[in-house]
Amino acid sequence: MTSTLESPSVAPASRAPRPPRRRRRLGAERRRAAYLMLAPSVIHLIWWIGLPVVATFGLAFTNYDVIAGTIEWAGLDNFREIFADDIWNLSIWHTVVFTFFTVPVAMAIAVVIAVLLNQRIKALAWYRAAFFMPHITATVAIALVWMWMFEPNLGLFNLLLDRVGVNGPAWLSDPDWAMPAVILVSIWKGIGLKMLIYLAALQNIPHDLYEAADIDGASSARKFFAITLPLLKPATFFVFIVSMIDAFQVFDQVYVLTPDGGPANSTTVMTYEIYRTAFGEFDISAACAQSVVLFAFLLVLTVIGRRLTGKDGDEA
Amino acid sequence: MTRTRGSRTRALTVALVATLFATACGGSAPGNDDETSGTIRLLTPIFEGTDGKTVLEKQLGDFKEKYPDITVEVDYTSYGKLNEKLTTSIAGGRPYDVMLMGVGWIPPFAEKGALAELDESRQELTQRYNERVVEPGIYQDKVYGLPIMLDTRFGLYRKDIFAEAGIAAPPSNFAELREIGRKLTVRDGSGKLTRAGVDILSNDLRQTFLPLMWANGGDLWAADGQPAFNSPEAVGALQLMTDIIRTDKSEDFGFTQPGATGLPLAQGRAAMMVGHNNHLLAIEEQAPELIKEDKIGFFMITNERPAMFQGGTLATVSAKSQRPTAAKALVGFLTDEQASLAANEQRGNVPALNSLADSEYVQSNKAAQFAMANLDAAYSEGGVPAWLEIRGDFKAAIESALLGQKTPQQALDELVVKAQAAIAKG
Repeated sequence: MTSTLESPSVAPASRAPRPPRRRRRLGAERRRAAYLMLAPSVIHLIWWIGLPVVATFGLAFTNYDVIAGTIEWAGLDNFREIFADDIWNLSIWHTVVFTFFTVPVAMAIAVVIAVLLNQRIKALAWYRAAFFMPHITATVAIALVWMWMFEPNLGLFNLLLDRVGVNGPAWLSDPDWAMPAVILVSIWKGIGLKMLIYLAALQNIPHDLYEAADIDGASSARKFFAITLPLLKPATFFVFIVSMIDAFQVFDQVYVLTPDGGPANSTTVMTYEIYRTAFGEFDISAACAQSVVLFAFLLVLTVIGRRLTGKDGDEA
Repeated sequence: MTRTRGSRTRALTVALVATLFATACGGSAPGNDDETSGTIRLLTPIFEGTDGKTVLEKQLGDFKEKYPDITVEVDYTSYGKLNEKLTTSIAGGRPYDVMLMGVGWIPPFAEKGALAELDESRQELTQRYNERVVEPGIYQDKVYGLPIMLDTRFGLYRKDIFAEAGIAAPPSNFAELREIGRKLTVRDGSGKLTRAGVDILSNDLRQTFLPLMWANGGDLWAADGQPAFNSPEAVGALQLMTDIIRTDKSEDFGFTQPGATGLPLAQGRAAMMVGHNNHLLAIEEQAPELIKEDKIGFFMITNERPAMFQGGTLATVSAKSQRPTAAKALVGFLTDEQASLAANEQRGNVPALNSLADSEYVQSNKAAQFAMANLDAAYSEGGVPAWLEIRGDFKAAIESALLGQKTPQQALDELVVKAQAAIAKG
């Protein structure tokens, strides 16, 4: 186990050799100190992440009756059961749709806002704070405000539509409009953090590249597509992965805006179904099987993301 | 060395998994402490908000005077979060000593041994309560829950709107309900609904459908315990709801929803509704003049028979309580006249005790009076251990019919298949 670096035999003769025992002792002491300092994190990881993960995978293959306190082996029954459930399959589709619209759209808007807020304009700090505000505000509070705006009779949107002679829909009660409404809120809420990451990345782009482009007579659009976007690739990878995971784990805004999965289950998503199965139906094992499926989705997406962005992604 | 490390890892893994399952399956054994002392935990989905908390704390102060050696720790929640609290407390091996729960909760929890039998008999209880009120707390002839309050669903209507239209009385059957609904519906020039003739969306959809089904002569369960909510009577009830929305257009889907900011009936945007008795409390807050001027009327939903939905809150004791005697003392206290009257008053609900029919609160609350006078025609949901799994699927099934995605028969047939699977799973 002793490393070569610690061996006294490799020490140059001209230097005063340290006593080997002392070095070993120091190494051991440092290791002990390191383990001691790491211990809280390791214990936290094992207790709060490791054990629940093991439990989730274990319980997914059992029939665990949480009220009676009984447990029995079920093999793949829970997985067969959940994939035979139309609502679970619908929730997977809704999650994909939600992710498709929230991640790329919000990323595109965030890049544009970040570029705009990277200029020298008046009240810059105020604008940046304003865009970041939705990210740090409690989702429930945000959802309640949006619920009022979506209210079909007295809400802001329909009052505005009414002024231009359009009969607005019942946003959150209409199965055709409920998911777009949730997506709209999620995009608005998610832009702040993405914008901040892009802003940090933009400030790391060397300014002389733009000066060189100016000398060559490049237009603003040309500079954006030839310099800014390529150099934002590492940040884009990071934002993409984080946003995908966030989108697949969306719960609170869906839960508050459209309780019970929305009208005719039109906004039910995977996390809500997991919650409903566990706490509405007391079927903890099926909920664990659903969680395993969600985990598999996230794993595959992360791997695909890494493959797509290649080496540049590693720099993020 | 490698083998030793591998063995250790395996041993550690086995120990972790064993600990985990022991934790999951465990829980302390029921206590045999018969003393009325110690600390007990109460889980309550009623007494919400600051007002509710104030009411309960006042009652618990009185309880403390009566039982100075018992300390009650309260966990406040809502019905929406009740299942989470119950599940996690039971799974964590530390269930609450006293749990207040709805009528549909008793069979699932009693069936699985989570509730303690109370020292009460059906005969004795029926002397204090209406028989319909006692039944939901009984499972397999054993009493597991004592009622604190009832919540009921029936018809509410605006007397002034009816009078303006020259309609003398509320509907006495489904055909009249549709006809009056059509007559009282108002749309503006652009076709936008400004007043719903019948509002069936402000109330929870399942709890709107069920009284219609019972009024049409249907039942939740057949004699053999199998689901019967796809019977012709049940389909007829859902067909009525579908006709109100899709054929008569007496209300538009999305016009309102349960818990919406304003109650359409209070705002004059609905002429009648299937509603909750505590909608009267909402009307009192939003349009007190309607109560003062006696503009709100009530009617039993009737077709083949009159019917009213009856839910409620019952006090139960955990089978794993370490202090069952103290817990039962608290149940007795919470269900007595003084405490249950305070709880009902705060929530605008209907007292379960017969003796409270003459109380000042009931005499001043016409919805409570109406409910108490019609308890003989009340029906309750639940009844099978799998009810909590089944009930969540009603909303989507009803919505699919109201939206025209499925016929009422298809929607209810599919619901029955799901219910059968839930019952079979046990």
